[in-house]
Amino acid sequence: MRDHVKGGALTEVTFFILLSLYTPRHGYAIMQFVEEETQGRLELGAGTLYGALNALLEKRWIEPHGDGNGRKKSYVITPQGKAVARAELLRLRALTCTAEKIMGGDSL
Amino acid sequence: MSKTCYRFFGGMLQLQERWLNRMAQRGYRLVGTGRLAYQFVPCQPGQVVYKLDFIGHKSLDNARDYHDFLEDLGYKVFYKNINLNYSLGKVRFRPWAKKGGRIATNSTTYNRELLIVEKENDGKPFSLHSSLEDLAEYYRALRNPWLTLFVLLTFFAVFYGSWAFGVWALLCAVLVLFYQYQILRAEKEAKLRE
Repeated sequence: MRDHVKGGALTEVTFFILLSLYTPRHGYAIMQFVEEETQGRLELGAGTLYGALNALLEKRWIEPHGDGNGRKKSYVITPQGKAVARAELLRLRALTCTAEKIMGGDSL
Repeated sequence: MSKTCYRFFGGMLQLQERWLNRMAQRGYRLVGTGRLAYQFVPCQPGQVVYKLDFIGHKSLDNARDYHDFLEDLGYKVFYKNINLNYSLGKVRFRPWAKKGGRIATNSTTYNRELLIVEKENDGKPFSLHSSLEDLAEYYRALRNPWLTLFVLLTFFAVFYGSWAFGVWALLCAVLVLFYQYQILRAEKEAKLRE
């Protein structure tokens, strides 16, 4: 995954997964969350989700949730992950601010 | 009434995928796979859709974890061999699997290089690798075995001065170029959008 730590820009998939895990979710629920929130615009394939979850686990931005007795693995965001998500929100705000300033006059 | 078909697709993943989807369109869903055999049972035409995935480069744990992950998502997953090999206790070194290579045996991913993933058809498109970076990585995993074979065969062709090896090397080169083109296309697109 292409997550520029310095630039702070997350991929859309990364950001959406982090957002979905503010409440603990398993894989299928994450896919549903992304589909509902984007009205199906962002396509999240199972293989891509699997790779993204493993990368996020490795970075410790998310962690496994529950005792692991249930067959379905669920995940939840860590404080570190929340900090990253917050930084991303600020970056996006600044970006839309610039865009508004320049394009604001345009009828959208 | 079940139906058994015998087919061998080798490394032609797209052909195999298309054939399985055609069977599903005609009202047959997969219930089991053998080396050459595919067992089907009747279903509603178009009730399920199929997608193939390559896992030959994964470790046993990783492959099993991925398999379980897909099943948890509600898909039905079958293992499938990519080559025809009836050995027991086979040990094979896969230099292309990761940095330094990986050993594959009958109890790991040897003869289990592919996953056939079945989804109940909900009318929405079905893809496993959706992000451009992931797609590029997936094509890279598919290219590397052919690239290794190409290098090896070219070496033999030069070393033995043999045309036969050269022809095989050329065949591999075609596949390497095919996947390389897919990788580059995905990477170029990834520079502009996600």
